[in-house]
Amino acid sequence: MTVSVPAWKPAAAVGGLFAMGLDVLVLLPRRPFAWREFVRQAWFVARVSLLPTVMLAIPYSVLVVFTFNILLLEFGAADFSGTTAAFATVTQIGPIVTVLVVAGAGATAMCADLGARTIREEVDAMRVMGINPIQALVVPRVLAATLVAILLSAVVIVVGLVGGFFFSVLVQHVTPGAYGAGMTVLTHAADVVVAVIKAALFGLAAGLIACYKGISVEGGPAGVGNAVNETVVYTFVALFAINIVATAVGVKVVV
Amino acid sequence: MTVAGARLPRSSAALKRWGTGWTRVGLQTLFYAKTLRYIGDVFRSYRSELVRLIAQMGLGTGALAVIGGTVAIVGFLTMTTGALVSVAGYNQLSDIGVEALTGFASAYFNVRLAAPLTAGVALAATIGAGATAQLGAMRINEEIDALEVMGIRTIAYLASTRVVAGVLVVVPLYCVAAISAFLSAKLSTTVIYGQSAGVYDHYFSTFLYPMDLVWSFVLAVAMALVIMLVHTYYGFTAAGGPAGVGEAVGRAVRTSLVSSSALIVFLSLAIYGQTGNFHLSG
Repeated sequence: MTVSVPAWKPAAAVGGLFAMGLDVLVLLPRRPFAWREFVRQAWFVARVSLLPTVMLAIPYSVLVVFTFNILLLEFGAADFSGTTAAFATVTQIGPIVTVLVVAGAGATAMCADLGARTIREEVDAMRVMGINPIQALVVPRVLAATLVAILLSAVVIVVGLVGGFFFSVLVQHVTPGAYGAGMTVLTHAADVVVAVIKAALFGLAAGLIACYKGISVEGGPAGVGNAVNETVVYTFVALFAINIVATAVGVKVVV
Repeated sequence: MTVAGARLPRSSAALKRWGTGWTRVGLQTLFYAKTLRYIGDVFRSYRSELVRLIAQMGLGTGALAVIGGTVAIVGFLTMTTGALVSVAGYNQLSDIGVEALTGFASAYFNVRLAAPLTAGVALAATIGAGATAQLGAMRINEEIDALEVMGIRTIAYLASTRVVAGVLVVVPLYCVAAISAFLSAKLSTTVIYGQSAGVYDHYFSTFLYPMDLVWSFVLAVAMALVIMLVHTYYGFTAAGGPAGVGEAVGRAVRTSLVSSSALIVFLSLAIYGQTGNFHLSG
């Protein structure tokens, strides 16, 4: 057995992830719903994510506004900086920063927690007691990640717009009124709805991947560390893939 | 202190927490300074370890190696953002009838915005989180203490080597990142949206400034340095059993994302200046 990881293993992992996703879907309406766990997880994810969200939303929006304003100033269209800021923040930065934080802060903590329980055989003990760990642990966590992602995307958009406003007005001398008036030129209610749907999809994917990696941990502390590392990598990859598809679909639907 | 502590329990607890916070900042700074100071020793004494780490970071370990390792992940992430630039750029520009300028959007936004930000995220997720997971597991298994007992300077051997390896690995990785961003932007514009390749190439090569690309590489290297420092620190100081390793990875990813994106903003402002150093009309 000196051969490294066999080639079918990633395929098996993807299959396992989808199987667990199906389990979650089936067990979603089954009573009793683990309300207490859901509220506790949602509060936990929100608590660890809120500060990094704000800290990450500000540099991202400032960078985007800065880069776009260079162009707009060159065109002589600096009055439209609010337009680009709103468009970039609502359609891209909002969902993406949410994703990065929910994946980097929430999903890693979930995966570490579930992974530690798995290697201490607590999950097996639950199965022995007749409790389905998917229903008791995974369903509330996935729902909590989805809910918090939706709520956080709103925070990111607000912080991004305010940060962009101060940067444009104070640093790049755009008229405040023009910034405010330009915001709704390209960005309409439909874009906001698409952004919220995107954030929900991201939260769902991050929660599923984190719980799957957490429940299928093997081999001591190093295993948990690797599982968390893989969670980060796979959630980022999945989220960027979802983002490009959702953006392309959203562009067609909204117009 | 004890008398005051007994009289005012809440404020003394708050004072203690405040003090611990500052102590942590100090310890972290000390760790970074030591890590940077021992970089010379890496080239003197631990060259084989450095080469091993470079190979490991480039290709990834375990399940990550099977799907192509760090190179594939970084390439994939920037590929999606490159495609995103062209999707958003083409659709918005075609609203005002200048979709020919999508090549310009790719040359401008990929270099200045999308590729550095995405590469930072990808680096933190792959080589950064990997280093934290490795070092954290070594700390929990008391392997780091064992190394110290053997008289090896652990910061030089474990942290400085990883920082150097990360900074060296990022250069070829960023080449892959930039190329895949450009290629995916071009392919999605020409193949999916059906723009003629000549139009795209003309505006792309007109507005692709070589100097911007060089600065973009500087951004990537600076980011790699910060990300590796943060991640080795959190791995090195992991505590609290298997769950502790996982939590350390999470905390490290959070910190390095925030610090690397703040770094990009300040470096971009410093490099491009307030006017942006950009000339549309040549």
